[in-house]
Amino acid sequence: MIDFTEGADLAELHDELRAVARDLLGTAAGGAPAVKEATPVDWEQLAAVGWLGLEVPEELGGAGASLAEAAVVLTELGRAAARSSYLGTAVLGVGALLALEPSAGRDELLRAAATGAPRFAVGLATGDDEDIPFHLRADGRGGFTLRGEARFVPDLAEAERLLLLARDPDGQPVVVLTEPGRPGLDVVDVPVLDATRSLGDVSAAGAGAVVSADQVARFRGDPWAAARGLRDRGVLATACDSLGAAEAMLDATVAYARVREQFGRPIGSFQAVQHACADLFVAVSVGRELVAAAARACAAGDQDAGRAVAMAKSYVGGAAVEIAGKAMQLHGGIGYTWEAGIHVYLKRCVLGRALFGTPAAHRARLAERFAGPRRG
Amino acid sequence: MTTGRDGATLAEFRATVRDWCRREVPTDWRGAQTGVGDDEYVAFQQEWFQRLRGAGYAVPHWPAAWGGGLSSAEQVILYQELAAADAPRLVLAFVSIHHAAATLLAAGTDEQRRRHLPAILDGEIWVQGFSEPEAGSDLASLRTTARRDGDAFVVNGQKLWASGAVHADWCLLLARTDPAAPKRRGISYFLMDMRSPGVEVRPIRNAVGESHFCEIFLNDVRVPRSALVGAENAGWQVAQATLATERGMTMVELAERLGNAGFRRLVEVCRTPSASGRRPIDDARVRDRLAGFDTEITGLRALCAGLVARHDTGTVGPADASVVKLYYSELLQRLTDFGVEIAGLAAHTELTKPISSGWEAGAWVLDFIGSWEWTIPGGTSEIQRTIIAERGLGLPREPVKA
Repeated sequence: MIDFTEGADLAELHDELRAVARDLLGTAAGGAPAVKEATPVDWEQLAAVGWLGLEVPEELGGAGASLAEAAVVLTELGRAAARSSYLGTAVLGVGALLALEPSAGRDELLRAAATGAPRFAVGLATGDDEDIPFHLRADGRGGFTLRGEARFVPDLAEAERLLLLARDPDGQPVVVLTEPGRPGLDVVDVPVLDATRSLGDVSAAGAGAVVSADQVARFRGDPWAAARGLRDRGVLATACDSLGAAEAMLDATVAYARVREQFGRPIGSFQAVQHACADLFVAVSVGRELVAAAARACAAGDQDAGRAVAMAKSYVGGAAVEIAGKAMQLHGGIGYTWEAGIHVYLKRCVLGRALFGTPAAHRARLAERFAGPRRG
Repeated sequence: MTTGRDGATLAEFRATVRDWCRREVPTDWRGAQTGVGDDEYVAFQQEWFQRLRGAGYAVPHWPAAWGGGLSSAEQVILYQELAAADAPRLVLAFVSIHHAAATLLAAGTDEQRRRHLPAILDGEIWVQGFSEPEAGSDLASLRTTARRDGDAFVVNGQKLWASGAVHADWCLLLARTDPAAPKRRGISYFLMDMRSPGVEVRPIRNAVGESHFCEIFLNDVRVPRSALVGAENAGWQVAQATLATERGMTMVELAERLGNAGFRRLVEVCRTPSASGRRPIDDARVRDRLAGFDTEITGLRALCAGLVARHDTGTVGPADASVVKLYYSELLQRLTDFGVEIAGLAAHTELTKPISSGWEAGAWVLDFIGSWEWTIPGGTSEIQRTIIAERGLGLPREPVKA
């Protein structure tokens, strides 16, 4: 396990974490995609190397690191097009728990999250609409009725615990701690074309689900800021994932262009191919900077973190699709085969572009500050 | 970083620069410098250079012993504040303080440094004599010759795209000294006095109507041996080493210019109502483009910061500078193009722009047309892509005919 104690050189730690990740995920050599079908990453191993508890405080059995370190892991999971519940448990689940008022119950869940059992899913908005998906009504008996729906929730099918983002009867954001199978709660797996992702819908319709007062956890500090911060985590995580996938596609394309020969020479010596690869490299370079800035801003809890993640997500989300698409193109006919595995990345990037907000939705949010006072 | 200022003193430094800018940046220089003649432009540039020099801000990247000595972090702050204050750019002295100084510091003799570095501070102007009519992107095929004659070389040939040659006192000259050697092994690097007999300068009018780049005709120009920089026939290697130093902090400056006044002007024009009262910014597509540019400028700044940091640690990758140059030039072109589109027909009535400005003066049509000054010189975008592909990504080289 890597030491994340204060004062250590973060860049070096990130390099080390990255190297361990590539060994574990099988992307160390060359980075060409070995993925043909979605194969789940060994969950126990993720717990054993300390990734699940990266952000969990040391006294609760975690590494006491920050979201900036989790961002490294997320990028590597994207590079490997790995299927795992890391996002649901270690990023969103742990992130939600860390944002709550400290309590013995919360600490127990954080300790458990670091071990990988149970797995978590967080019911929050994952599309362009950023609204809080659930709401609570007092039931007059000291408890609440929960209603609402969260669609396309990451890693829902595998989750044993649910953290649902809801508005309390006063309209303030809170977290409802619950489990799949509770009366009134519907959990449905939603198969998507990207087989490396697990998404599902969780809803409490009709009469709703009964929730006791001790299932309702309050955020520490400004609940709206905490809810935004949680959503920002999802946005950042998806940007990291797309960046990793884009890096893998660039590496694979460059490796292929070096060896594939046509007209008696490697295709990578043709300017049309060279310049296309150069453009992919520029886009990856810019994306890497924006993602790094967003991860730093989130980890430091900057006021401007929302802006930084919106920039990273809108840029990388779009660029990754172009890069994976260009990878398929430059691989030629073989790139279009199932066997080549490029389709795995292209589907993951296309899904990643939409998950936690499309580029256009993020740019719309970014542009709000330019509008200035309206006339008339 | 060359000095170890901590955050607190960097904040103080920023406050000092900001205060200085408030006092010293000429007010309404853009208005005053629009449409002025050559003499007035040169006088304005020289005066602004001396004002910066007085504060220690003219050559911050030079070693302290020669009048510079600001750390990288301080230089970045300086360029941020100058851009925020919309100060004039150092256009006339650009080659002198960057290319000439880098060459002298990296490969010049002590005598050459003592002769020229203080003179540059006093306003000596330099021009780059590299490109030729038949040697553009393929610079190493240059044909200007320098033939040994006793203790001197006799230079004959023609140089092209020599920016500011009409005002230049000295020239960084590449000429072929060994016609028999492979093309990169027979070139020498000289410091040439532009007042030497046989030097003739003819301005060329460029696409925006300005005449700052020139042809230089060289007819039996005698250059003393002492004007050689580096070894005879090692000029290509000297040029390669010093061209690389030009990127980095100069890109920080340009990124800050684009991110400050440039982007502000773009937002302003998007907020300006048309005759019917409609504002472009009320269109979601316009806001989408603005947010995209804001994001890309943020990315550009981070790329520049990364390049500077790697300069400091000596870990610059072989294509890092090309990535920044390519990305900046094409972003500038897209951004100014969007400015033209938004500003509409009214933009076409802006017939001149201030010469001491950068490439985002807010005279959108001229800015847009001028953006090719970035995608063509200093290695075209095509050359940059080839460098990125071959040196950065290690793709096989395109077969070249000898």
